[in-house]
Parts: sequence; C-alpha cells; structure tokens
Amino acid sequence: MRIVVCVKQVPGTHDAKIDPETKRIIREGIKVVINPFDTYAIEAAVQIKEEIGGEVIVLSMGPSRAITVLREGITVGADRGILLSDRAFGGSDTWATSYALSRAIETIGDVDLVICGKQAIDGDTAQVGPGIAAHLSWPQATYVMDIADINSGSLTARRMHEDGWDLCAVKLPAVITVVKDINQPRVPTLKGRLAAEKQEIPIWKAADIGADPERLGLNGSPTRVVKTNPPQGRMKKSVVLDGPVEQSVRRLVQELRQRSLV
Amino acid sequence: MLTNNAEAREEYRNIWVVAEVLAGEIQKVTYELLGAARGLAEARGSEVWCVVLGNQISSQVDALFHGGADVALVVDDPSFMNFVDEDQATVLTRLIRTHKPEVVLCGATTRGRALIPRVAVDANCGLTADCTGLSIDPENGDLLQTRPAFGGNILATIRCSNHRPQMATVRPRVMNELPVDTSRTGRVITGKLEADEAGGLKQILKVFQDSENSVNLADARFIIAGGRGLKGADGFKMLKDLAERVHGAVGASRAAVDSGWVPYYHQVGQTGQTVQATVYFACGISGQIQHLVGMQSCDFIIAIDRNPDTPLMQLADVAVVGDLFEIIPQLIKEISRT
Amino acid sequence: MKQHLLTSAYHVEILPPKQETEKLYEDLDRFSSKFERVMQSGYCACITDNAMGNLAFQGTELIEELELEAGRNQVMIHLNTFHTKADLHRILDSCKAAGIRQLLVITGDGSDRLPRLTPAEVGAEGVEAVTSVELLRYIGETYPGDFDLGVAFNPYEPEDHEFSKLDRKIAAGATFAITQPIIERHPVVDKLIESYPDLPVVVEAWMSKKISLLSEAVGYEISEDTPYDPIENLKTLHRNYPQCEIYLSILGFKTQYPLLEEIRN
Repeated sequence: MRIVVCVKQVPGTHDAKIDPETKRIIREGIKVVINPFDTYAIEAAVQIKEEIGGEVIVLSMGPSRAITVLREGITVGADRGILLSDRAFGGSDTWATSYALSRAIETIGDVDLVICGKQAIDGDTAQVGPGIAAHLSWPQATYVMDIADINSGSLTARRMHEDGWDLCAVKLPAVITVVKDINQPRVPTLKGRLAAEKQEIPIWKAADIGADPERLGLNGSPTRVVKTNPPQGRMKKSVVLDGPVEQSVRRLVQELRQRSLV
Repeated sequence: MLTNNAEAREEYRNIWVVAEVLAGEIQKVTYELLGAARGLAEARGSEVWCVVLGNQISSQVDALFHGGADVALVVDDPSFMNFVDEDQATVLTRLIRTHKPEVVLCGATTRGRALIPRVAVDANCGLTADCTGLSIDPENGDLLQTRPAFGGNILATIRCSNHRPQMATVRPRVMNELPVDTSRTGRVITGKLEADEAGGLKQILKVFQDSENSVNLADARFIIAGGRGLKGADGFKMLKDLAERVHGAVGASRAAVDSGWVPYYHQVGQTGQTVQATVYFACGISGQIQHLVGMQSCDFIIAIDRNPDTPLMQLADVAVVGDLFEIIPQLIKEISRT
Repeated sequence: MKQHLLTSAYHVEILPPKQETEKLYEDLDRFSSKFERVMQSGYCACITDNAMGNLAFQGTELIEELELEAGRNQVMIHLNTFHTKADLHRILDSCKAAGIRQLLVITGDGSDRLPRLTPAEVGAEGVEAVTSVELLRYIGETYPGDFDLGVAFNPYEPEDHEFSKLDRKIAAGATFAITQPIIERHPVVDKLIESYPDLPVVVEAWMSKKISLLSEAVGYEISEDTPYDPIENLKTLHRNYPQCEIYLSILGFKTQYPLLEEIRN
C-alpha cells in the first residue's frame, strides 16, 4: 500500500498579529507549525503501514522552510517526503493547490490512498482534500473518525457528521480527510528526529509534476482576496462588577432579571 | 467555468441554494441560505433556485417556496437516500452546466464541505468557504464574499471575477431565514439521475444518528462555557450544575477541551461550534479570537474572570471580576433562591 | 529541623529543545553544555516536561541520545500526566536505568498534540481525569522505592485549597515539595515549612528580570515596568529560608551562573 499524506505548514495562530496600518497578517518572524490536523493524518497512515505494510510519503507545498513539516512527518514514521516549491505555485487558492497536489500524486505514481487532515487551521476551508479527489476523479471520505477496514481494493471508514456518523466503503485509490477522533498521534522522539534530519528531501518544481502552468498559482486560482479588515467588535458598554462577591452576584442576577432572562 | 469577458458572464443567471437533506428532511440551514439568496437575487434582478437532491423529497418543496425560493430543481432518486458525495457532485455539476447559475450557495456542514469542493473543481469555478457575509458589488455585479481567516483574526473579502458560477459555503446560523410566507409559490423543475451518474465508487453501509451524545449548543438559550480558568474537570461539574438550573448547555474553550477536561463536542469557536445563545456565560475564558468568533453574536454575554483585562471581559456586557470558584457557587445560590 | 532534600546544591531548571526547532543541532549542543556545567558544579539539573504544553524532547532521551552522564542525585525529571502509558513507562524505565531518583510529579499542561493518561490506565477510580495525585500513587505502586517524588506547591492559590491538595499529594506518596517562584518571602510558604516539619521544601527563585512574566503564576497582573533584581531576590531567599534548597528558573547561564557559588557561600 502506498499512502501519500498531504501536510501544510501554518502560522501558529496564537501568534497571529495584524499590522495596524496595512491590516495584513504579519508573517515575518512568526512561528510556523505543522497543521495540527495533519498530525492525525500522518498517524493514520503510519498505523495502516504498520498493520498491512507499505510506504508512507509526506507531501507538502510551500516555501523551502516547509521542509521542517516533512521532517516532522518522517520523525513519526513516514518513509520519505517531497516538497513542492516553486514561484509558479505562489498565490494558489484551494483550486490551484489541490490541482498541484494531485499532479504530484500522479507523478509519484501507484498511490493507493491519500490522507489529509480535515482542514488547515489558517484557512479553515476543508476544500483541498475533496479538491484533490475531484482532480484525480477518485472517491473520497471526509471527516473520517475511524478506519474500520482497509485492504488492497477498498477502505471502510466512519465519517463524522453533525448529527452522528455513517459507515462507508470506498474503492481505492481514494482520498480521505481525518478528524482528531481517529487516533492519538505518537509524540516524536529525539531518535526519530535525528534520523529524519539526515534524510534528503527532494524539492519538485512545476515542471517536475507535468502541471499546466495556467492552472497553477495565481493564474489557476479563480478566487481573489480583495481586502482584509479586522473583525468588527461589539459596540456595547460593559458593566464591570468588581466589588465583593455577594454584591456582584446580586447585581448580575438583577441584570438578568431586568431582561427577563431568569 | 472560465468566463473572462462580460458577455460570457451574462449567460449565468440566478442564485442557487443547494439544499441540505438529512434523513429525508430539508434542514434549517437551507432556509437560512434562501434568506440570504433572496437579497442577492433582488440585487441582481434574478431568481432564487433551490436544488434538492434527495429521496421522496417532493412533498417538501412548498416549504422552499414559502422560505424564499422561486424555483425548486428537484432530483428525487432512491440513491440519494444516503450521502454519496461523488454521485451528488456529478449530478450537481451537470445541472450547473445545463442551467448556468450565477451563484451557488451551500451550507458549510460536514456534508456541504465534502460535496461542494468536488463540484467547484469539476465545474472549474471558485469556491469560498465559511462565508459570514455575502453581498453584490454594485459596480459589476460580482458576489463579494466575506469570511474570517487566520482563526478569525481578520475578515477577508473575496471575489471571483472571471469564473461562473461563484460558489460559497455558509455556516449554519449565520444568515437569517425569511418569515414563512405561505402565499408564495414557485415552479418545480424535475431532474433525474442519469444512468452513468451513479459511479459505484462508494457504498454506505450504515447510518447512525447520535442524538444522545450531541450537546445541543446550537439551540441552547443559555450557554455556560468554561476555559482554562476552571483548572480541571472538577470545575466543569460546577458549570454543569449552573447549566442545569437555567436549562442551559455547557460550552468550553479549546484550551479546556485540549486539556481533556470536557469532550470536543462542547467546544465553541472557530474549530468548534458557532453559537447564538440568548445568554452566554464565559467562565475563566480569556477569549482567544478563535473563541470569540464562535460566540460573539450571542445576545447577552457575561464573563467571569479574575483578570478584568482579558479580551472576553472587555467584550462582555457584564464583566464580573473575581474568583469564579466563589462567584459561581454564589450565583447558583442566588438563582435558586427565587 | 528538616533534613536537606538530597543534595545541598541548587536545582537548576533546564528547558529541553522544542520539537518545532529549526536548528536542532545547535539546540542540542546548548542543552548538553548547560547540563554538563550543572553536573560539574555539583548542582541538580531539573528538566521540564513539555512545559506550557509546548512539545519538547524528553529529558531521559536527551540524556541517552547525547550520552550525558547523570551524576548521582544530580538530575530531576519533571513528569506530567500528558503521556501515553507506554511513554510514561519508557520514561520511568530510562530514569531507573540512568540512576535518576528525583521526579517532580505535576498535572502539567496539555495541548492538542499531547496524549493524556486515563484514569483506567493508572488504576484510578472515581476521578474524571488523572492529576498529579493519581500519577504519584501509580508510580509509587509500580516502582516501589525507586523514586523520590516531588510535587508543586502554589502559595498564590487559596490557602485551604492548596494545603488540602498537598495533603492528598502526600497521602499519594509525595516526599518533597517545590514552590512557585517566591519574591523575598511568602507567608503561606512560612506556614508550609512550619506545618510540615518533615517535608523538605524547595523554594523557587525567578531568575529573569522580567517579573511581569509571573503574572499568570501568581494570579494578578504584575506590570511590565516593575523593577526586579533576581540576584538580590536570591540572596534574600537564602536569608529567609536558610533551611530550604533553591530552585532556579530561567537562569542566565552567561551572566548569572558564575555568581551562584559566591551567593551560596
């Protein structure tokens, strides 16, 4: 079984700051981390490999420093990593990103399964996984909380929904996206990390994946961000209760009663 | 479809809503989207269409008209009893090619977010996820799509000028339903599933509806939410006690969920649920922006924290400064007194 | 008079390299040199365990992989509840193999990247989550006599609450306590020393000049411009708590470390 796990390097959102003048995210000097949901995807792939054998490849698209997230993947059990990095990929929206990743998956060849985290915490779109499936014309299972069975021809998975779950069987090759409930990712070890540091990670350019330049980067992205604004705050005046507890609580209940809320 | 000149764009008309059908019922989010679509259609001088892919769904189309649809495009087929996203995407893409809508809206639910990206790729058009605002640019008629990005730290406005249709998913409970107007009627267009459209790539083996385990934060009038300040699972017992007395639900910040104090389905915020309660109690939640985007549209917000300067204390209508381990028991006592 | 804990030296906190580091080898070198320096001084190196929920490498694997020599009673490993059972045992077994006896057992901070021990895994009943109390009891039962188990004591918490927690920790096997950072003197720490004459107490000294960083630990806002001289504070702590050992957090290895020997004597 050959499994590709798509991973993304994202800004640690706790650090995200907005430049008050330009209203843009300050990306310089910001901490970057592996998208947390992708760690579940890697763990799911490694567990499948441990159970039925095969190879796990971590794939990312991004600037050269994104090689770190691939090493993180190798640290916890992936066999190798590939980075898509080229100016031509710059400015990609989810359409162009999923196209580039699907081309890389075709280039790798003989892939049975692609696993993605359910979404990335910077964009929160959850569109790239199904987008890859669509570009490849493969079936998909999204929000997977449990892989019940997997063999060379099919995968049976539980998909999480707001109101419960369903159990579906998809033919392989397929794309799945996974939620946190699926597993508990192993904590990386120093031994694993030292081994990962030594591995060469190839960097593929647009030409290496036989991609149509019209479908890459800004060219291939139907959507455009036209402006960004800070979120609007509430325009109400707060009542601050900082006296003795009994007094504050009495006043609070009074506020609620005045509004017939209790 | 690539439509990089005005003439090509002219061919695309009408605002579509893709209905969310669950266990044979059209879901509330569909009516919310019809409400949003109505405004857009008026701005464009076009119609609202609701596309329904379902099984034995025809009896519900009147409700779609009452909720704002002009046209119901219904494909009623037993194979739509369950959610086979690949087949639904194939049918939807064909319908889009045939009828050329200008805008396609879909609920940002687990099903919508699985289905629509496939359609966007197949139909070669742009898709914006989780929009919180939709409007029409008066200059050129483009759909302006506003969505939170970077964990809600900014609101991005996105447009898609050269592709049609313009597609967006919208979170449940963000848009408002129209008042039900039983005098409204509309046209029904009946579509069908073509022979080659059931791809056989996916089989649904079992469906489980989990009503017991779900915490109904979405419909709760009162939400009592806790964060890191509760210091542990024990703190949440106190919140549960308070919640029971006001018939509310217990919510939590991501920090509390990540610490293992409460299960994930209590989580409010960007990566949890968006809530719109009448009263939101935030107990020991500092108010990371990711949390705020999930609860800031609650009507009346009360925050309890010993630090008066946290973002949530600043946002709250009533900010109670002090030790929540003293305040909440006292509050329980005070509320129970009457 | 209470006996000295285990050594008569400083406890020096060393933060292990973070998992997310982009310069691993540099960080490892820095860790090794700090560790070796503490060993040479005869002090005790205290290695944190994913502090603040930030993933870092484990102290035991650093000692193993970097082939560091842990002097007798010269290493203390922080151990929290955010581990799988298998990893917990790996850490404890490594400690045992390396001759490390001192553990600081804390509940710790979680994150979505960290697993957490479940009550069933440590044989705890009637609790919803594993805290330091359950972990202490479990280590005591599964590794009888192998470790000296320390616990945290927070004088900034409501006093009754903190003392009753301490009693539960002692009942679960704790044999020494380390306080939160103390500025000069704290009445609740005085009370701790007085009320528990047999419990060795280690007092923490905050060695950063930025005392505002302590705001969260002490539960009230310390403004950023508050002047603070960590070296003077350390001297004061020695004067006020002559019977206690001192735990140094955020110690500056370049400027402050060379002064330690003199301050002590």
